[in-house]
Parts: sequence; C-alpha cells; structure tokens
Amino acid sequence: MKKRVRPSVIFIYIVLIFWGLTTVYPFIWVLLNSFRKKGLILSDSFSIPAGKAFTLENYALAGERADFKNAYLNSFIISGSVTIGVMLLAGLAAYGMARYRFRGRNLLYSLTMAGMMIPVFSTIIPVFRLEVMMRIAGTGNRWLSLLATILPQVAGNLCFAMVILMNFIRSVPIELEESAFMDGASVFQIFFRIIIPTAKSSFATVAIFSFLWSYNDLFTQSFFLRYPRDRAITGLLNEISSQAGVNYGLMAAAVVLVVIPVLVVYMFLQKNIMRGLTAGAVKG
Amino acid sequence: MKKTKKAIALSLTAAIGLSAAGAVMAGAADPVTLSVVTSYGGDDGNRRNFEQAVQEYEDKTGNTVEDGSATSDEEWKAKVLTDYETGSEPDVLFFFSNADADPIIDAGKVVSIEEIRETYPDYATNMKEAMLAAASDGKHYAVPSSGFWENLFVNKTVLEDCGVDMPGTNYTWDQFLEDCQTIKDAGYTPIACSLFEVPHYWFEFCVMNNGSLDSQLTLPAVEADGSLDEAGQKWAAALNDMKELYDRGFFPENTTTATDAETVQLFGDGDAAFLIDGSWKVGYFTENYPDNLEDYAVAYVPAKGDRKATDAIGGISMGYFISRKAYDDPARQKAAVDFVEYLTSDDVLSRFVTTEVTALVNGAKPADLNSLQQSAAEANANLTGIVGAVQDTISSEAKGDLFGNVVAVVTGSMTAEDAVKSAIRINGNPGAADEGATG
Amino acid sequence: MQPTSTIYKKKAPLLVFLIPAFAFLGVYLFYPFIQNVINTFLNIGGLGRSADGANTPFYMNYAELLRDPKLRTALKNTLLLTLCTVVFQVGIALVLALLVDSIHRGARIFRTIYFFPIVISATALGLMFNLIFLYKGGMVNQMLFSLGKLHTETRASGRMVVDWIDWKDKDHFMTTMFLPVIWQYVGFYFVILMTGLSNISEDVFESASLDGAGGWQKVRYITLPLLRNTLCTCLVLAVTGALKVFDLPWVMFGAGMPEDRGWLTGTYMYDQTFNKANIDYGSTIAVLIVVLGVVLSNVSKALFRQTDDY
Repeated sequence: MKKRVRPSVIFIYIVLIFWGLTTVYPFIWVLLNSFRKKGLILSDSFSIPAGKAFTLENYALAGERADFKNAYLNSFIISGSVTIGVMLLAGLAAYGMARYRFRGRNLLYSLTMAGMMIPVFSTIIPVFRLEVMMRIAGTGNRWLSLLATILPQVAGNLCFAMVILMNFIRSVPIELEESAFMDGASVFQIFFRIIIPTAKSSFATVAIFSFLWSYNDLFTQSFFLRYPRDRAITGLLNEISSQAGVNYGLMAAAVVLVVIPVLVVYMFLQKNIMRGLTAGAVKG
Repeated sequence: MKKTKKAIALSLTAAIGLSAAGAVMAGAADPVTLSVVTSYGGDDGNRRNFEQAVQEYEDKTGNTVEDGSATSDEEWKAKVLTDYETGSEPDVLFFFSNADADPIIDAGKVVSIEEIRETYPDYATNMKEAMLAAASDGKHYAVPSSGFWENLFVNKTVLEDCGVDMPGTNYTWDQFLEDCQTIKDAGYTPIACSLFEVPHYWFEFCVMNNGSLDSQLTLPAVEADGSLDEAGQKWAAALNDMKELYDRGFFPENTTTATDAETVQLFGDGDAAFLIDGSWKVGYFTENYPDNLEDYAVAYVPAKGDRKATDAIGGISMGYFISRKAYDDPARQKAAVDFVEYLTSDDVLSRFVTTEVTALVNGAKPADLNSLQQSAAEANANLTGIVGAVQDTISSEAKGDLFGNVVAVVTGSMTAEDAVKSAIRINGNPGAADEGATG
Repeated sequence: MQPTSTIYKKKAPLLVFLIPAFAFLGVYLFYPFIQNVINTFLNIGGLGRSADGANTPFYMNYAELLRDPKLRTALKNTLLLTLCTVVFQVGIALVLALLVDSIHRGARIFRTIYFFPIVISATALGLMFNLIFLYKGGMVNQMLFSLGKLHTETRASGRMVVDWIDWKDKDHFMTTMFLPVIWQYVGFYFVILMTGLSNISEDVFESASLDGAGGWQKVRYITLPLLRNTLCTCLVLAVTGALKVFDLPWVMFGAGMPEDRGWLTGTYMYDQTFNKANIDYGSTIAVLIVVLGVVLSNVSKALFRQTDDY
C-alpha cells in the first residue's frame, strides 16, 4: 500500500476546527461575559474581561437571589431517581420484547414508538390531576413534590430507553444465553448475569440521557415544584433569567452555573455516552 | 391591570428564595407554616418590599411562610386556578379581584371578608368599603393591596437633545406626532414599546382618545348587519392610531420581535423618548437605573377628541384572598388572617405605594420620594380622571387574541375591524376560540 | 428474524419483564394521552376548568385544523425544518465524520467538542442564542458592526444611527430559528456515523487502494454503501426529532414571532393550550403531532428501506 501525504489534510483540519469553534466559542463567550461589568456586554463583548471590566458581581447576585446548593441537591435526587427507574423498567421490558415472540408484540412495539412522539405538554394536565388525586402532587411536602416530578419523567424517558436497549439486545448473539440456560440458569439470572453486563454500554447511554433530559426538563419541573425549597436547578435558571430582564451579565452567570455540573459529568462519562449510544443505535 | 409579562418561554412558576428562619416569640401559639402565592415574583417592582414584609411577619409571629410567588401572566393565572380545582391551593392568595377570580369564588374555595369579620371584626376595616371589589354574590372576598396607574414616562435628556418641550397637561396628539418626527429625525427612537409583548398600554389610551373617560368601559359588539357598533369602531380606530405610529416608524425598529425588557432598556439607556407603562415601573427604574433617575419623568399621554391628557388609566385590581381550606383549619386560621392583616396594614402598604391608589381609609404615607417618584406624584396630582382598563373586563382568551393580533394589524396583514370582531366573538363565547364556532 | 430460542418458549416470566414498564407507560403516558384525545371533542375553556359539554359538531376542532391559517404556517415551517434537519444536520455530520475518519490526530478531541452542545439544556441554549442574536449589542451584530458591515448614518444632531440587523424579523427568522436547532444535534449524528465508519473493515479500503481507487471514489463506492444502514437510522431519528422541536424556538421566539410567520406545530400547540386557554384545540394539535410523527417515521423508514425485522 502506498502512503502519500495528502495536501488537503490542512484544509480538512481547518474545516474541523471551524466546526469545533462554533460549538465551543459561544460557551466561552458566555463564560467571559459572566465576568464582565454590567453595561459593558452590549458595547464590548469580545475582549477578555480584565482590570476594570472584571467583576464577580454577577455571580454574587445570582447566589443572593437563589439557593443553588439546595437546587443542586433537588436536581440530583430527581435525576438520579429517574435514571435508576428508567434503567430498571426499560431494561426488563426491552429484554422481554427483544427475546420473546408473543402475540401483541408488534402492538407493544408500535405503542413504544408512538410513545416517543407524545409531546409532554399534551399529557401534563391529566397527569397533574391524577397525582393530586393520588395525594402525591400539591401536598406541600417537599419529598412528595420531588416524587411527583420523578414519576412522569420516568415515563417520558422510558420509550426512548426501551428502543435503544431493544436494538442492542437483539444484536447480542443468543448463544451466550443458550449456554447459560444449559447450565441451569433461569431467565432472570440470564438477564442480570448476561444481558446487563453485555449491554453495559447501552445501559450507560440510557442512564446518561435519562439523567440529562431530566436535569434539563424545565416543563415538568415547573408544574410540580412550586416552592423555592423544592426547586431544581433548571427552574432556578428560569427564575433568575426572568428576574434579570436586561441584566445580561446575571443571565450569563446563571447559564454558567447551570451548565458547569453537566459539563463535569460529561467530561467524565463522555466515553460511555459515545460507546453506548452507537452500540444501541447502530445495528449489527 | 397588572403587567402581563411573558418573561421567558417556559416560565410557569417563579418564586423567591427566602430564608425560612423566624424568631419564635415567647408565648406565641404553635408556629405554623403558611403557604402563600402572590404575583410579587420575577422582576416585580415590589418584590423586595414584599419579601421584607413577609420576613417581618415571620419574625413577629414565629410562623413560617412558604412563598410560591411568581410573575403574573396568563399561565400563572391558569395554574393558580388549576391548583384550586385540584385541591392543592395555597393558604393565602394574592390575585386579581375582577372576573378572573370568579371560578374560585363560585366554587366556594375562598372565604368572604364578611365571614371573616364574624370572628375577626377588625379584618380589613382600614379599607374603604366602597373600594372593595364585589363578587357576583354581592359579598367581598379580596382585601385590596396597592393599586396602579398607567401614564406616559418621558426621558428628559432625549427630549432636551432633540429640542422637544416636556409634555404638559394639555399635550395634544398632533403635537405628539410632530414631536415624534423631530425625535426620529434626530436619530432617537420616539416610543419605547414592544408591540409583540406589551401593546396593551397604547391600546388602552388610544381607545380613550377615540372616545372618552366615561365611555372607556363600554364593551364593543357586532351589529346585526355584521358591522361594528360605536364602541367597536372606537377600538378599531385605536388600533389604526397604533398602525399610524408604526407606519411612521415611531416604534423601535424591532418592535414586532423585541421583548418588553429590551424596549424598556431603550428608554432607560436614553435611546428612546416616550414609554407608556404602569406605576410599577417607578420601582423598577429606581432599582435598575439608580444613576439615571434624574433623566426620567412622568408626564401625560397625548390626547385627542374628548379625552383630556390628564385622564389616565388606573385602579385597584388585585387583593389578598384566604382559602377556605386554611380558614377551616383551626391551626392555620389565625395565621392566615394575621398575614393578610399585616400585609395590608397602613404601615406596610405605605411602603408598597409611592404614588399608587390605595383603598386605605387614612391614605398611604410614602416617605422619602426620589425625583422620579416626586414627578409621578406631581403628575398624579394633576389628573382629572382615572378609569379602569377596559381590557380587564374581557375574558383572558379574548384579550390574548386581541393583543396577539396587534402586530398583524400594524403590519397590514389584518384589518383593525377584523381584529376587533375576532376578539368580540371570543369574548362572547369563552373556550371556543375557533373560527365559526358561533356566528 | 432470529428463531425463538428454547429458553424463551415459556412465557410466564414475560409478565414480570413487561408489566412494570407498560403499566407505568399506561398510567403516565397512554391514559393521559387518551384523555387528551377525548378532550379534543369537548369544550374546555381553561386549564383549571372541567369541560362545558361536548363541541357541536363534535369534530369541530378537526375541521378547524383544516381551516386555521396559523396551523398551516406551523405545519409548513415544521416540515421545512424537518427537511433542513435531514439535509444539513445529517449532511454536515456525514461530512465531518468522513473528514475525522481520514485524519490521524485529534479525532477524540473533535468527537468530544462536537457532541458537547447536546448535553446543554434548551433553556440555557435559548438564553445564549438570544444574547448572540440580540438586536442591539448582540454578538453577531457587534461582530458585523466592528467589521464595518452595518449601515451607519450620522444625523444633524451629531448622533450616530446604526442599522442593526433584526435577526428575528421576517427576513431572517428562518435562519435564526433553524440554525441553533440544526447546530445542536449535528454532534449526535456525527457520533453515530463515526461508529458506523469504524465498523467498516480496513481490508475493504486496502483492497480498493490496490485497485487504484482514489479518496473520493472510495467514499462514493465503498463507504457510503456500507454506511447505508447507519445513515437510515440517522435519517429516521432526524425526522422524528425535528417534529418534536419545541423548547429552543419557544425560548427564542415565543408566540409565532415574527408576525405569525414563525409558528411550529409544537409552539403553536403550547400557545393555544397555555396562553390562549383553548385546551381542546391544543389537544387536537397534539393529536396531529403524534399522528404526523408516526406517519413520517414510517414513511422515512419505507423510503430509506431500512432493514428492520419489525
């Protein structure tokens, strides 16, 4: 095989770096401006805020207006529970759907696909009334309010998770399961000892997406988490930005505070996201 | 009418972080937690005053207040009403005392002032009886808080720069159009207004300009032959006046896409000359533009026809309700009554008020007015008449439809008459904003 | 289709696998949605109110769907967005994936930063893009101004007037609305396509090189055909994803801005339900969205003839 150095390589890097800049630069711009003195953003937003232009005021104001620590805690309780719930329910169902042949299977599959299309705002009012009837929502109890948010979010993420996991489990060679079965393992043992370890990366994907979507889902939160004590982080961002009006520095600071934890999680877990997502979505 | 602010997209709730600590006074009854929902959230000018008053109440009584305050908009109203219907209502609600409150009053979800006075004879006795909002059953439910006025704010610096005189008590529409042209030619924006988000201030005054103070609250109707009646034509003429302002380029370049905050900023920063807004903006400017306060003043909305420039919009549209659920709970009854009494006491209300109307028998006694507040007080002293906003007497669906169509009218894709007819139809037929639902 | 293994002949455990998830979906997704379908035939005048009886005629809302000009705008925009998503989102992702696949250094860094926008909430992104496209002093307008691309004029009063570009007006809103949506998810398809590429065996390329195939020919005759299934997955995901787009345009544009030209099915449904208190009509639009989603995803599957054993 002859190897030749293509002159176009430099061009390729230019294109790739250009796209990279479009994804990264806006965040850097927001980050820089979160440290800029009020009023300067509109006239000079590109320079690095140093000297007189530098300020921590925006963060101080954000901290004064809202209890970030409590909101982070609420967010992690909600999104953590949603993640666990989705993985468990979707894992079991995906396994059943992928391996068993039974009547109504096509119907259930269609229902799952249709479930992915149902917009959350068309279900929220009945869900709200249902939960009030079940004495979960609107009780004024913090933990029940969090639960009231968790349950519909689990349902909202379930269909996507099932599709990803189903696709993956179908691509796992059945021989592994058969040999385990020969050794006397029950289907439940097969699920926990073979399917879950094999599909680890797909489960990781489902976990990460469930977590992120739950963390970022303002709409459901805003229905069930009314009082400051219950509020999760995205609701807090919304609250601060609606108070900010044209205080763009404060808005930038709030965006940074909300994005940073996600960024940290992403940096640590990005390998899993990539691997699992592609394993599930790409067949064969 | 309270400012209807769309704020941010999905904004459904908003509230204020409050430290829940309150010193327990010796000898007080068992402290209780009181849930309170008000519209003093978001960027409301009285947010800080409200928070401070709540803190004082907590310190005084040892009770804890769970504050679910938010920015008032249609979503917020819908959510509050849903809470009452599903039984997850707050103990005390600060809400509109007009037709918006009918659902909760009709369902017996809130307690009347008369009933509360059977046990607490002094409840709301510091208010003028005549100014309490009467419900359809003739009873009174809401204890009024501070009222509001709407008037013309001017940026004096911009006017000086353009050589335009400060509008006086006899400011005419023709003079106003001339001034706008001068201001525009000098490179400033004449009128700070987002027709996309808050066209209703201009609409209300333009309606009065085409009618009079006395006929302001007459609702329009469609005649048998399909044409608009007198009030309807007045509304259409009002929309056409706004269209003229738009066509002549007196609104900001991006008035059909800007947010309210953006256009108010034009005024605040000295890029725009005029702004019609409410009394809450006095507090807003005081908080957000403390260094520029000297630039602003309150003047009079230019008049034509029978309206005098000193006729303005105002009144009291909101008040405190106590929920039946809290009142029937012996543990929370007194706490709720105390809360409303404290928040509507002469002392506390005077802090909420700089120049607004109150229902207080003794009147409010605001202290230490700044220059803008002083200017507002002077303008108020010159007012010859004040009337409620007609838009508050139509259903929120009709209101949403009408103001949603303002941009279509000014840009010429819909006639003013059609916009008014559409609003009339929806107002007469709540819940069915559909084409051809009923003639 | 795989033949059913003997392990899975006994169906009893199936109940344990399926019931929890589907019971959950039933209560929290399907029951509320059926309620929503019922609502389309009723007259409901407010979120907090119960129905004031049935509509007359009962199909009134569906008839309205056909007449409503704003809905027509919303449908047109949504379908256009779907098309743009398919062409640009998947297209850009494909180009980037092919380019990254051809280089030897830095592939991992590119993958990390390309995927990054996906993890950020739409609320945060919406606020960010609002700052970027702000009329007076936004990032784009500031940039154009400092490059001298904006028309300026000094008035007699000595005041300089700048013709800022209103990125949300009727001449620009399509770009301003579509760009962030497309931009955010390019990384998603990029990563999927990258994996598809890495699954293509090196041997294929080597033998092609021996046959004298150049770079473009290899892409055209080897990579693309072998990538077909992956591309199909991307296209189906892109079509269904575009139909659901809601929060980013809503944060940036709100109700139909500009001049009722900017509606999407999602934003129009939300506005009817929560701002116009037209609950039953909002519910009807929601039904339309779901039906459209099911139909379009099936159509796109059939069109791209994805091999699928369902």
